[in-house]
Formats: sequence, C-alpha cells, structure tokens
Amino acid sequence: MKPHNTRSPRRIAWFVAVVLAVATLPLVAQQALDRSKVPTAGKPPVIRIPTWTRTTLANGAALVISEKHDLPLVSFSLTLMGGAYQFEPPGRTGLASIVASMMSEGTKSRDGEALSNAMQLLGTTVATRIDGESGSMNFASTSGRFSATLGLLADMLVNSTFPADALERLRAQRAVVLAQAKSQPGSLASRVFPMILYGTAHPFGQVLTEESLKAITRDDVVAFHKAYFQPGRAVIVVTGDVSAAAVKATVEKALAAWPAAGGTLVFTYPPLPEKHPATIYLVDKPGAAQSTFAIGHPGPPRSTPDFYALQVMNMMLGELFQSRLNANIREEKGLSYGVGSSFAFGRGPGAFQAGGDIISAKSDVALVEFVKELKGMGGSRPVTDDELASAKDALVQRLPGTFASVGGINSAIRSLWTQGLPDDYYQQYQKEVGAVTRDDVVRVARQYIDLDHLSIVIVGDRATIEGPLKATGIAPIVVLDIEGNAK
Amino acid sequence: MLTNRRRAAWLALVALAGLAAAQGLPAQAPASGTGAIRIPFEAYALPNGLTVVLAPDHTTPTVAVNVMYHVGSKNEVPGRTGFAHLFEHVMFTGSGHVPYGLHDRLTESVGGSNNGGTSNDTTTYYETVPSNYLESSLWLEADRMGFLLDTLDLAKLNAQRDIVKNERRQGVDNQPYGRVGEILAAATYPPKHPYSWDVIGSMEDLSAASEEDVKAFFRVYYAPNNAVLAIVGDFEPAQAKALVAKYFTDIPRGKMVARPTVPTITLPAETRLVYEDRVQVARLYVQWPTVGEKAEDQFALDVLGAILSGPRTARLTKALVYDQQAAATVSAGQGSNEDVGEFTMTITPRPGHSLTDIEAAADAVIDRLKAEGPTAEEVQKATAGAELSVLRGLESNLGKAMQLSNGASLHGDPGYFRTAYQKSLAITAADVKRVANKYLTKGRVVLSVVPLGKLDQASKPGESKKVTGDAAPRLEDQR
Repeated sequence: MKPHNTRSPRRIAWFVAVVLAVATLPLVAQQALDRSKVPTAGKPPVIRIPTWTRTTLANGAALVISEKHDLPLVSFSLTLMGGAYQFEPPGRTGLASIVASMMSEGTKSRDGEALSNAMQLLGTTVATRIDGESGSMNFASTSGRFSATLGLLADMLVNSTFPADALERLRAQRAVVLAQAKSQPGSLASRVFPMILYGTAHPFGQVLTEESLKAITRDDVVAFHKAYFQPGRAVIVVTGDVSAAAVKATVEKALAAWPAAGGTLVFTYPPLPEKHPATIYLVDKPGAAQSTFAIGHPGPPRSTPDFYALQVMNMMLGELFQSRLNANIREEKGLSYGVGSSFAFGRGPGAFQAGGDIISAKSDVALVEFVKELKGMGGSRPVTDDELASAKDALVQRLPGTFASVGGINSAIRSLWTQGLPDDYYQQYQKEVGAVTRDDVVRVARQYIDLDHLSIVIVGDRATIEGPLKATGIAPIVVLDIEGNAK
Repeated sequence: MLTNRRRAAWLALVALAGLAAAQGLPAQAPASGTGAIRIPFEAYALPNGLTVVLAPDHTTPTVAVNVMYHVGSKNEVPGRTGFAHLFEHVMFTGSGHVPYGLHDRLTESVGGSNNGGTSNDTTTYYETVPSNYLESSLWLEADRMGFLLDTLDLAKLNAQRDIVKNERRQGVDNQPYGRVGEILAAATYPPKHPYSWDVIGSMEDLSAASEEDVKAFFRVYYAPNNAVLAIVGDFEPAQAKALVAKYFTDIPRGKMVARPTVPTITLPAETRLVYEDRVQVARLYVQWPTVGEKAEDQFALDVLGAILSGPRTARLTKALVYDQQAAATVSAGQGSNEDVGEFTMTITPRPGHSLTDIEAAADAVIDRLKAEGPTAEEVQKATAGAELSVLRGLESNLGKAMQLSNGASLHGDPGYFRTAYQKSLAITAADVKRVANKYLTKGRVVLSVVPLGKLDQASKPGESKKVTGDAAPRLEDQR
C-alpha cells in the first residue's frame, strides 16, 4: 500500500508497522536459520610458500635468507649435518649433549656468567643442541638486537674454553636427571624401546647410562667440538625482519674467525639386528596406575619413495584426533587420555611407533585393540573416502600454519638440509600428497608395519597386567628390569 | 594450571606459547621501541550479552576462533571438584545440530586444529582453520553454546569421565611428584576455599558427577553473557559481523552469573609437610600465598621470580646450583590466577645434600635479597626479554585470540595485555624488595617429597607432618 496523505492517522499506523517489521526482521531471519545445514566452505586460500635466497660464506657454510617484515623479529639458526650417531665415540653416549651445554660455559673473553649476563641484557638465549643426526645453535631476537646476539653466538662457536669444573657440574646434574627418569614411565619406555629395537651395536640403540656419563672426559669434549663444528657441513638460516643484502655481510663478518673445514657428510649405519618374532617386553613398575605402551620396529628412512603414502596412512592410523587408534582406544573405549602412532623419519631407519598410556587394569584390552588397528590398516578394515580426504587435506592445508612465525619458516627451511630435500619441496608437496591413492595407503601399511616382528614394550604393574596380557595370546612375554635387562 | 582436552605429546597440537606468554607476562624492558606491540581490534556486544572481539590480520591465511567462558574450577562446589574440566570434555561430544566427530572433521581434517582448556578461572574453546572455514567454526561454537543439552546423555558423560580419569592418572597419579599441585593447593588455602583444589579434581568427585550436574552447570555458566568470542586472522570484519549475528544472536541471554568476592589469604605460620611418592630423588617445594592477576603486586612478583631463578646469575640458581653445587635444579616464580596467586619454589638436590640443608641455603639467599633488594641491573636483566616474548606471542593468530579473550574476560579490556606489558616495564628494584618482604614470609607451606619409606629424607623431618594422600593408584576404581 502506498500512502497518499502525509498526515493521516492511517499513514502513521502504516509507518509504525514498517518500523516493527524492520525491528523484528533479524528475529524472523533467525527463526528461519536452519542450523542443521553445515555451512559450506568457500574457495581454499592460496597457500603461499616463503621464498628465500641461498649463498655460500667464504668458509664454505651455506647461508639461506628469507625475509618477513610484519613484526620486528628475526630467527637465526646454524645447523650442522650429523649428530650424536655420527660423532659420539663408543661408550660415550651423552657426550654430544654435554658438548652442547659446554658451549654456554665460557669463551676466551667471557666466562659463563659474563655470557649469561650478555644474553639476558639482549633479552634472549643462544641455545645449542645436538641430536642424533643434526645439531644447531640458534636464537630468536628483535631485529634491533640481531647483530649483537649473533656476535655472542660467534664467540661461543669459535672461542669456547670448556672449563673442567663445568663438565663436572653438568655430569652431576645429568646423573640426577637420569635417576629421575627411572621413576617416570614415559622416560623408561623411551629408554627401553630403542634398546630393544636396535640393539647395543647400532647407534640408535645407545642410551645414556651412569657408565657412559662417568666415562666422558674434557678431552672427549674438545675433540668432539673440533670434529663437529665445521662450516663445510653447516647451513645458516636467517628469517624475518632483515634485508638479504645486509644480512649476508653481517653474518660473513661475525663468522670470519670460523675457519673453513669439513665437507659433505655421508650417513652410513650398521645393519639392523636380526628380526625377532613379536614379543612383549614388560618393564615392571610396581603400583603403576597406567601401563605405558610403545609398540613398533625400525622403519624406513626419510628418503623412501613411499614417504607421502606413509604420511597419509599414519594420519588416519594415529595422528589425527579421529584417527583409528585414538577414536577406538580413547574415544570409544575410554582406556586412555590419548594414543597415537608416528614414523621417526630421518637419514637412518627411524622407528615406527604406536602407543600411549593405558589404564592398568585394561592393558590387555588395549593391546588387542592396538594390534587390531595395525592389522586393519593393512586391508582388513577398508579405507573410506572420508578418511583418505581428511588425511590428505589435513596434511596440505596445515602448511600455512607452519609458515606463520619466523621460527616456523626457519625450521621448515632447515629441515630441507637435515633431511636432504630439494629446494622446491614445499611447492611440490601438495601434488605429491594429492597423488596418494587408497591402494598406496594399504600397500604401505602392509609393507612397513610388520605385525610378525613387533616389539611391544609395556612399562607397568606386572602383578596386575602380566596374566591378562599373556591370556591375549598375542605374543610371549619377556620381563625386564628398569635398565632393560631380562629378569 | 591448564588442563587440556588432548594429549599434546601425541598430537602436537596448537603451541600454547602465546597463551603462556599472555598469562605469565614476564616483566620486560623496551629495546627497539614498543610500537609493534599492539593488536588492532574492535569489540562490541550482542544484545544477548556476548562480547565479540575482531582482529583481522591477513599475514597468514588462517583464522583463529576462541570462545572463552568465565567459569573454571573455582566455580565448582565441594564434592564436584574437577567438574569444570570434565564439562569441557563433554563440550566436544556433539550438540543439537552437530553430530559427534563433525567438529574434528571441519577443523583438524581440513588442515586446522581444535582444543579446549580449563583453568581455575576460565574455560576456553578454540580452533584455527584455513580462512574459508570461518563460517563453519562459528556454526560449531554457536551450536554448543546454544544446544549442547539437546543431545546430551549419560553415555556421553560416562565416556568422557573415563577419559578424564585417565588424564588424571597420566598427569597426576602415575607421574613422579604428580600430586604436588593438589597437596600444595589444599595446604595453602583453607578448606572449601575456591582455589583449595586442583583443576583436575579427585577421582571420587569425577565419579560422582551426574547428567543433572552437566545440565545445571551449562544453564548457569554457558550463556552468551558469560562468554567472549574472539576472531583473529584472515577475514573481513563486515563478513565476520554478519556471521556472528547469524549464528549467535538468537542464543538467549542467561541469568547474571554471581561472582562472589574471593579474598586473598595469608598463612599465620609455616606448615611443614612430607609426602612419600614413587620417586628416586627427594625434592623440596615451598609455596607462599600472594596475590592474583588483578593486583598490581603481581608484576613485581614476576620480576622477583626472574631474579631468583632461571639464568645462572639468578640468585638461587647461582648460589645453589653453581657456587655451592648443592642442587641439580632450582625454580621459583609467581603464578597468578584471577583472584589469588602463589609464589612457588622447587629445588632438586644433588646426592649428598639434604633437603634440610637445601632449605636453609635457599632461605639465606632470600633473606639477603629481602634485606638488600636487587640491583638495578638485576631488574634490567629480568625485564629485558619481555619485548621479544610478547612479540613472539603476536605471531600466532591463536596466541592473539587468547590474549584478547583473557583481557576481555578478566579485565574487561581486550587490549589489557599491553597494559600488563607496560606495567611490567615500570617495575623498580624498590618494588621487588618490597614484595619480597611482604610475601616471602614465614607464612608458607614447605613440602618435602621423598622416596617411599624415606621419611627421614624430609627437610627437618621431626617437624614435618606426613600427608596422608595415597601415592598408590586406586586399583579398585579401574574395572
């Protein structure tokens, strides 16, 4: 109805009605909202891969720079190829970690306190760590404090003095940590599992012991440092609020005293011990409220052509929250706060491992379910379209999150070197994951999860769990003490 | 303490570094200017009382959605400890229009992540998703805010109860020193004080929680007027506002939530306790009641913690770990909740050093600091890292969403993190000396944790009362 008379009562009434209608419109719309309809996603955002430049320093170290300027932050890493597995002499397990700590204990011009004071005033810490197959010195800083922090790192790298009293202090501290580890179920499992999988003749089977800790001398530290920190095997990555042109000169100048040495490292490992039939290794921890499970065997290296298929398979087996293991053992049966599986990809035969912490009294039920899901992945439980799509989308679409911080970009770049991957790895990633088929998933599950040769390490209360575990008939039981020796 | 839905070790989910930075806000000093320390945001309220905070940032093509409810373990009633956290788990079991599992399908399975967390004061639910999944995230959060009870049943509650009990076993009962948190809370606060129990709660109380408890708790605390919705990341504000209106407007306002005043407390004398645990190495814990995060003194207490422990020049670390070589590790620091706080010191001795000696050595260091106060350089060192740590918190959309939500929930100001940062920078040596004298008094709890059967390893064993909690798991509770 179109009003004529601007002042008629009728028009006023109409106007009021319109106002009411407008005022109630959102409510009407809300009532019409069909909440059972799942909102559809729009077009996926474009995945932007960071770009970087690479060059070589005069001493032979590779330098990679990636700029990001939204915040005044810089992430720096100096990474060396090879680690404890390559550089620790026999009987000196723990040396690499001690060397890393000794890098903060003083230089020719600064004692340990002076180094610490300098770092505190710069608001940061230069952290050194040496893992099995690589090691690094790294820090984060505000852009204004980058050069000064890099200067401290260079001093630690080139001029460390390795004072003998510091070695004794570190040795004593680590002895306490080692003692404590033996009352922590997760630490116990992660000590015993590699010993069982790789044996004492393989570097992957070495764990820190009181004896190896006692055996380490200052000469060992000095020799390790000299052999290890060589620029020919190093890649330096700088990400964040820097200019590529300026930062090269800054790094070159800071590391001028680090002499050229070292070349490409070839990763070679001794053969794996002979496979043994599936066995339960029960580490007795009297009174434990839960049993800590670590189930697995040596796995393929990162260079396997099946890497992408294995990643997709493992997402659905034990990485996603709704993965088969977690959906069954945690969500459906309530036996755990969380279970999962992983492949420790690297240069050598890193472990495939499934596990989690299980309520003691139902350890047998959980073991049956673990084995069932591992077996199911190899074909007895078909892979659904939704499982496959979830696993692939999750892998690809999480990439932007890994590039959100300067530290994230730094480690993404660094891993190309430590894992021996091409420069365009992230560009190709989406395509490679996309190409994985359902048949690939089943094939790699069968090929890389060897049900006949699983090592099943369970740290728990023997009195409660041994009988029920035995009754499952899954595998014979060998009882171990907390050192991993057969009782 | 924050208790999470998921096991971070296996699932390597969202790094909570940003959250930790926001809550702990170590005191800091400016270096290259603080201009970058800001989160441009706009905040408004819906007619039903829901506070909405929007902070667009297109650096990364993801969006973080965080819904923080102003309810935590302190709102539990005696006999129902652990309930706020158990309830958090129930919030992931589906709701009126969202079948179980779809939440993960629309977040983790599309390249995002989700989780929840419960503290003494707040319970928060969040997802980070590729930016084209903003609408479904809002739909998911609105549905459990409005329609959780439509599909609730006892089976769902029981399933989560079992999982939470396993969370407790894993984090407390089967963990060396795992019961320390609840022993200290019970010893520091009077019975029935809202901070006298730990977030995870007791097994008995978890067993007792009923379906009716869930319904009542939901109706009181899970109303839009008790919540903050923060959206941070790659989105257009106009679009986000329209979506928020679409999904949240018709969720009815709840009753006003009563917020009883919770007084800070002081202890009239020292309480000395010894607890036998399945540990190899004895350990000493000392806890002083202090103030919460609304009190100005918390900033000086943070600086005090950084001056006492951490780097090798920090006073306790230098004296006990380096100079005397009597301890393997030392830590000391302020933990702030909404209404109250605690300053807690933990020392692990080296072999051959008794807890009694360790306690005396630590007290000597603290007494000296109380008498002399710190140097200006010590304060400077303690605060010099603040800028970096706050800036790093700003790199993550979720970290920013947490900071904005915390500020809005606890301080009525989403931008509070910046105020806190500036207050931290203003702390002087005199402030630190004053709070050390005011709070680090004899009114404290001294707890020795010793290996089974080694009560004589306690600090001053003759004066320490045995805590009668049971280190043994409740096996009868298991089948």
